[in-house]
Amino acid sequence: MGLAYNKIKKICENLGEHNDALYAVLAIAVFKGIMRPTFTMMDKESDKETKKYAAFREGLTEAIAFCSYLITHKIFKSQAPSLAAKTGKSEKKIANGLSLFSVCLTAGIIIPAVCNLTLKPVMDLVKKVSDKRKQKLGNDAMQGKLDIKENSVKTNESFAAVYSPKLSPNSISLMDSLYKNRMQNSGMKVGG
Amino acid sequence: MGWFINAITSNRFQTIAQNTDTCVKIETGLKAVGRPSFTLIDKHTDKETRKYSATKEFLYQLLCFGIYVAVIPPIFKNGGFKLFQKVFTKENLPNFRNAKEMLAYYHLAHLDKEERMLEQNKKYWNAISDDVIDKTIRTKTGKFKDGIPVKKYLQTWSKDKITDKGKMFKLAKGSIELSSIVGSVIGLTILAPELSHLILHPIMKAIGMEKGHKKPAEESTEKNKLDKQV
Repeated sequence: MGLAYNKIKKICENLGEHNDALYAVLAIAVFKGIMRPTFTMMDKESDKETKKYAAFREGLTEAIAFCSYLITHKIFKSQAPSLAAKTGKSEKKIANGLSLFSVCLTAGIIIPAVCNLTLKPVMDLVKKVSDKRKQKLGNDAMQGKLDIKENSVKTNESFAAVYSPKLSPNSISLMDSLYKNRMQNSGMKVGG
Repeated sequence: MGWFINAITSNRFQTIAQNTDTCVKIETGLKAVGRPSFTLIDKHTDKETRKYSATKEFLYQLLCFGIYVAVIPPIFKNGGFKLFQKVFTKENLPNFRNAKEMLAYYHLAHLDKEERMLEQNKKYWNAISDDVIDKTIRTKTGKFKDGIPVKKYLQTWSKDKITDKGKMFKLAKGSIELSSIVGSVIGLTILAPELSHLILHPIMKAIGMEKGHKKPAEESTEKNKLDKQV
């Protein structure tokens, strides 16, 4: 209990001393990256494949957001000392300001642009890989079925003998009459 | 470049940068504009799908913004602040009534002594009650034997003195920020997706966006049905 109290107190003191705009947006990106795919997978109305696709896409979007926030923040913040030297303003203030500016720029422009450029190719690639895997699984299943059939039919007779039964003269005349009737009913004429 | 540095180092910008609540509002607002715009210019998909996605994204971000404004300040910011005041009773924090009072003090404390007295900052002075007392400093006898009103610090001390004496009340400020971060996460990752399920489709139908357009999920389900029938 005491440890938790001290931990929370330390976090609060640090946030009170310096609260970066990045903390909240990173926390949101991380939890969105976990919660949105989870909710999508829990949806009982969509089929399994669609859910998987949507969940992966959502997870990927938040992963892009998380990385974009971190990278732009690092790039912008690294400029603070040189800008402070040039302008003579407080480095801490410039770093604070750049931090919020980088968050705004990332949320409004960089994330949607990166998503537009990367999501489609990545999702196409994932779909391709998944289709290939499915095809392979399908072939394996088909082979399995054929194996079962081949093993289950054990006969010494030849293929022609099996599929060309010997018919009695009565049976042949009956088959002919049935065939004729069928063709007449369908309105087709053989050789006509 | 000079105007940019002046803008980002201004007191207003610095206060916003230190405030989770405002930062998340700005971020959500920018997402509501940026994401639909980029969806509309995406050439990978057809025009109808782009229009549908952009409208849906815009409405979703608008919903997030609404949830944020309605839920975070009253419930998480103030609720969290009061909860933390109880948790940190041992720390002898001043008796700020709510987060707004504390943030007004924090804003004024970060200004130069002369700047605090300007007309534009009057609303911050009005937000702080006269009976918010710091009991960690008191005179043995006389006027402040029960503790000093925090307004006294703002009237007489410079920004540096307030910082040096530890009267920025970092713990109180940090507790507001922590509860705002927790509130933002809950609001935007749990409440918003759930509410969007209930609200977005009726709105999209009402504005005629769901008539001609089938979602990918619907298309896929229909295709599956047809495949099964075949």
